[in-house]
Order: sequence, then structure tokens, then C-alpha cells
Amino acid sequence: MSRLRRDLRMERATHRIEGTPRPRFDLAAMLAATPAAAGRLRRDPRGEERLALVPGTLRRRLDRTQRVAASAVAAPAAAVAEMAPKLVVIAEPAYLVAVVPDAPGGRLTPHDRQVIGAARLLADAGGGAVLALGEMPGEDLAAAGVDRVLGLPVAGYDPEARAALLHAVLDGLDIRHALLPESADGADLARRLAALTGETLFAGAESLTAKAVTRAAQGRRIEQRRAPPRLITLAADASAPHGGAPHEAIPVVFALPALMPGAILSAEFVPADPARVGLDEADFVVSAGNGVRDFTAFRALVEALNATPGASRMVCDAGLMPRAAQVGASGTVLDARCYFALGIAGAPQHLQGVARCEHVVAVNTDLHAAMIERAGLAIVADAQKVMPALIEALTGALAVEAQP
Amino acid sequence: MRIAILLSAGRHAVSGRPAPVSVELQAIRLARELIRQMAGEVDGNAAGDITGFHAGPDAGPLKDALGHGLPRLIQLSIGAQDDPLPSLAAALGAERFDLVLAGRSGQGGEDAGLLPYALARTLGLPIVADACALAAGPQHGTVSLEQALPRGARRRLTLRLPALVTVHPAAPAPLPFAFAAMRRGMLETREGVPAPRAAGEVEERAYRARPKLIAKSAAGASATERLKAATEAASSGGRLIVDPAPEDAARAILAHLRQIGVLRD
Ligand SMILES: Cc1cc2nc3c(=O)[nH]c(=O)nc-3n(C[C@H](O)[C@H](O)[C@H](O)COP(=O)(O)OP(=O)(O)OC[C@H]3O[C@@H](n4cnc5c(N)ncnc54)[C@H](O)[C@@H]3O)c2cc1C
Ligand SMILES: Nc1ncnc2c1ncn2[C@@H]1O[C@H](COP(=O)(O)O)[C@@H](O)[C@H]1O
Repeated sequence: MSRLRRDLRMERATHRIEGTPRPRFDLAAMLAATPAAAGRLRRDPRGEERLALVPGTLRRRLDRTQRVAASAVAAPAAAVAEMAPKLVVIAEPAYLVAVVPDAPGGRLTPHDRQVIGAARLLADAGGGAVLALGEMPGEDLAAAGVDRVLGLPVAGYDPEARAALLHAVLDGLDIRHALLPESADGADLARRLAALTGETLFAGAESLTAKAVTRAAQGRRIEQRRAPPRLITLAADASAPHGGAPHEAIPVVFALPALMPGAILSAEFVPADPARVGLDEADFVVSAGNGVRDFTAFRALVEALNATPGASRMVCDAGLMPRAAQVGASGTVLDARCYFALGIAGAPQHLQGVARCEHVVAVNTDLHAAMIERAGLAIVADAQKVMPALIEALTGALAVEAQP
Repeated sequence: MRIAILLSAGRHAVSGRPAPVSVELQAIRLARELIRQMAGEVDGNAAGDITGFHAGPDAGPLKDALGHGLPRLIQLSIGAQDDPLPSLAAALGAERFDLVLAGRSGQGGEDAGLLPYALARTLGLPIVADACALAAGPQHGTVSLEQALPRGARRRLTLRLPALVTVHPAAPAPLPFAFAAMRRGMLETREGVPAPRAAGEVEERAYRARPKLIAKSAAGASATERLKAATEAASSGGRLIVDPAPEDAARAILAHLRQIGVLRD
């Protein structure tokens, strides 16, 4: 017998409260006195609840994540400033890993960040540095994990010229790998480069480590695998973006060759018609939830913002918007750059549909709605008042432009 | 206008049986509609011709392409493991084509979409990727095309001919199959240029689908944390404005939308 037998009656008897006709026991004292036998702490659900209670609201609200929105306004900013991550400096890189982000409008896409993350992997394996080719704001690149930057000055749409410049850079600098996103423009550029250099291109890599890359072939029946070659394009969502401390992203000097005019005589960008593209392809979605009652104003606002309309399930169930407009787990999962939510609470099923959106703007009367927490810009106000003000501001701006 | 269309031996996406590749059939439609448009303008029936080229040991499944509106197919006979590039370059270099159309990528082979680029380089042609619409250009000897971009956007280009253009799946669907058209179509076999491929360092195995990357949280995290990782933005720390006047709210929203670049004026 390894364990002592406890006599529970005896233990209870020692905590008997004297002087009452009926036997009474002080159980709290008894709890405190029992040895923490199994070593496990006893939970105090009431105490936890008291801690999670959000102060200053009419309705009783619990914040189980312990992240109270009211305190989030000031406190974390100071915390971030305190532990500002220090810069990683690679002064003497053993080699360079080049990345060519698409960066439409000078902003890195999530795919670009993944490609930079993959390049970081290849660079860190042997003391190399990541070189980004293209014009982008420096702090963006630094946070994404880029050590060196070099611009590729090409006017207009001229992929052949870009490929020629890249070819010169690849020849002139000590570049061990060049990584591009397998996106419309990245894929085109990589193939031009492969044709120019005559090197093999590992197109659409689906996994990447310093030792091996894999891709699908023969209609996804075969997986090809090899050591990373010099030219690689990376499929979307195949590699994690860089999550560590920022790198320095300093410009490098390189004499680029002069360019010849190409065969493309003119190029004109035709933006997608937001009324016609599907929700899954839309770039900017304005969405209505149960908090929106004025749908005439909502439609006018969508048109004025030149966006694609969406809705929460509550609205679609009520028949106020077509089912095709439903955003969320059982609707459409968006790939949009920006999501503007009006009067949407942000149920998990709805937030799943917005998970890939880079920017979220929310208008809601409830400070503690999950959508407010998810948003990059959160406005606690009545949607019925904000919508006309927005339309007014948009059309007013147009009228001012039209006058002179 | 003489148009060449490159047809590769594909495999059906679901059954895996030999079949023509859908984008290449879409290329046939684009070519036919371009020629019809030119014929209307030039008022003659000799506005152009369309020829299909395939380099490979067997043109069997590509007979279907004749049924989808291709009048003539030339098979350049090479071994199954041979590189099609020299054969195609020789055949296309011998005749002058104004426009060469290819698919964005094959389906059933290497599927890298590299061949059109290598061919354009060997023939010295400019190449434009991902066309989804073709029309006669503003001047003679030009073509204007629409390039499919992600998210439904398009880029309208004017291109000097001769050129090589690859076709995107967003182009109009292939013409319906007609048995009589297949019977009428001409299939010609020529000798190709044998070009054995050098053995690569690529190792092949059966495909295994990998899970797509989603936002991860630490292993053993609570359900709340996992949900948070799946639904929350990468960049947190947003701005919060409580109870502003509607005008101030509108101004703040518009400024934010302009700053992130979704609102152009
Ligand atoms: C299996 C399953 C699948 C589901 N799939 C989906 C899905 O795909 N998509 C989806 O959307 N939902 C889905 N749901 C439903 C989801 O759980 C929520 O019920 C729904 O998203 C809530 O919609 P809501 O935010 O519009 O409405 P509510 O929850 O009613 O929220 C309304 C919000 O508007 C605010 N509000 C009220 N008045 C105003 C005002 N005047 N101005 C501004 N704000 C105001 C409120 O504060 C509140 O936050 C699913 C549910 C289940 C069970
Ligand atoms: N053997 C071939 N014969 C003719 N055309 C081909 C051949 N292989 C590839 N192509 C063309 O090149 C495109 C891209 O093929 P791939 O590089 O194999 O992905 C295809 O869509 C075809 O138009």
C-alpha cells in the first residue's frame, strides 16, 4: 500500500463548528487545510469571471480573452514601444537570394510576403541576405524580412524590359536563388527570365525548404522534387511569411543597362467592374449586417464607393440581399483587400469569410462586437447615420471637383 | 492573317484519360473569331487560315480539336520523351505566321507553361501572356488583346505582329464539338526533330496534397486562441473611434480607405 488511507469523517469532524444544535462544518477551512495532493490547482470560476468582467457597460459583459477593448486603446501602444524589436543586420552576406514582389501600387501582397518568407529560409540556411527587386516603401520591406533593396525602373507595362533588367542583375550580383510569386505577373516574368537565361525554372513550388522544393505535375498526379535551383516561383499559401524581427532593407547600388522598346505598343489597365465580379474575386467589399435597416442608402453607398456588395447571413435569411452576397463560412470566403462591415456583429462563421482580408473597417453601435476588434479602423456609431454622411462626403467631393 | 495554334497532348482533369487541353481549345475559338472579324473588314474570304501544331508520338486524342473548330492539324512525329521545342521551332520558322497561340500551361505533362516562352525566344517573337480576348488592332499588322488579371481586372494591350500569345482560361468557352467538323478536318503527319531530353535531377513520386497554409497558433493553445488565429487579421492594433459625429466618421473612413489604396478618385 503506497498511499495513506484518508479518513474523511475524521477530517470533517475537526472542522465542526461548535455551539450549533445541528452539526455544521466549515468547509472552506477544510478545503484550505487539505494538502494539494495531486498538485493540481483548484479553479475558481467565479474569480475568473470577476477578472473577465468588462467594466463600464450596462449589460454584463465578459471578455474571456482578457483583452479588454477599453484598455486596448492606450496600454498596448506603450508596451510595443518598450520592446521595439531590434533590427537584424547582415553586413557581409555569403550570397544573395533575390525576390521580385508583384507589389501592385507599391504595396506587398500576402503572396509577396510569403515569397519573402521563403527567401528568408533559403538565405538563413547559409548566411545569405534577401534582396528585393522593385520600388516599395522601405519599412514594409524591412518588416517582411528584406535585407537589401534594388529598384527596377521600368515605365508602363513592359515585362520584356523588366526581364532584361532582372537578367542583368542576376548576372551582375552574386545571386544564388531568385524567387518569384506564381501570380499573373510574377509567373510571366519568371518564364521570360528562364527563357532569357536558358536555366531551368521550378514553376509553382508547393513546398520549399533549404534542401528540397516540390511541385505538382501531370495534372496533379505526380509530385516532382529536387534541390532548390536558381529560379523558383512559389505558389500561393505554400510558405509562411517572415515572423521574426525586421531586417534593415538598405538600398544597393547597381548600374542597370539601357532598354530597348518592346513590341507592346500600348497598355491600358481596365479595372474590374465591381458590380459584375463575383464576391470571391472582389477587391473591395462593403457588407451589411443586421444593424443596417436602410438598404436604399446601403446600395447607394456601395455604388458611390465603387465596391462589391456583401451581407451577413441574417440579412440574406431575411431576404434583404441575395444569397449570393452572403459572406462567411457557409457563404463566400473573400479574397478581398478591404472589407467594410456595417452593423455586423462578427460571429465566428462570418469572420471565417473575412480571414484573408488585409484591411477591415467596421461600423457598429456595440463597442464589444467581435467585428470592432477585428477591424483596422473601428467606428462605434449608428450605421444609419454614417451611411448618408459617407454618401454626402463622396458625392460632395465629386461636386467640388466638377465645379471649377 | 495566318494563325498557328500549339496543341499539347493533355489528360482529362478528372478521369486522367488522354484529351485535348481546354485552354488550347479556347485558343481555337479566339483564332476563329479573330479571322471572322477580319473577313468582315477585308471583304474577302481569304482573310486567313488556322493551323494546329502538335509535337508528339501520337495525335489520337487531338482529333477532338478538329471537332472543336480547327481546320488543319499538323503532327510532328517525335518520341514520347523527346523535347518538342526544336520540332515546333523548325515547323513554325519554315512558314510565316502572324500570330502563334498557345495555352497558358499544359495539363498532363510538365505543366510549367515554359514551352511558349522558350519557343518565342528561339523564334525571336515577342510574347504576351494570359489573353482572354482578341480583336484586330487599330493599325494594320497589330492586334489588340485583353489580358486577364486576378480579381476580374483586365489589361488592354496593342501588340505589333508577329507575336506569340498564350491564352488564359478566362477566355470564352471552346466551340461545341461537331462530329462532321472532325471528319472534315485535315490531319497531316510530318517527321519532327528528334531531341532527347537530358536526364534531370528531378525525382518523381505520387502526388500528395499538402494542407494549405493557414494562420497557425502555438500547439496546445486553447480553442479561443486557435479561433482567434484563424479569424483575426495579421496586423492587429486598429484605431477605435467611439461615438463620433457622422461627418467625422465619414471623413475618417474615407481617409483610411484612400490611405490603404482601395478608393481611387
Ligand atoms: C452553421 C452556421 C453557419 C453560418 N454561416 C454564416 C455565414 O456564412 N455568414 C454569416 O454571416 N453568418 C453565418 N452564420 C450566422 C452567424 O452565426 C451570425 O448569426 C450572423 O453572422 C450574425 O449576423 P449579423 O452580425 O448581421 O447580425 P447580429 O448578430 O444581429 O448583429 C447585428 C450587429 O449590428 C449592430 N447594430 C445594431 N444596430 C446598429 C446600428 N443602428 N448601427 C450599427 N450597428 C448596429 C449590433 O450591435 C450587432 O453587433 C452561420 C451560423 C451557423 C450556425
Ligand atoms: N508537344 C507539344 N506540341 C505542341 N504544343 C505544345 C506541346 N507542348 C506544349 N505545347 C504548348 O505549350 C503550352 C504550354 O505547355 P507546357 O509548357 O507544357 O505547360 C501548351 O498549352 C501548348 O499550347
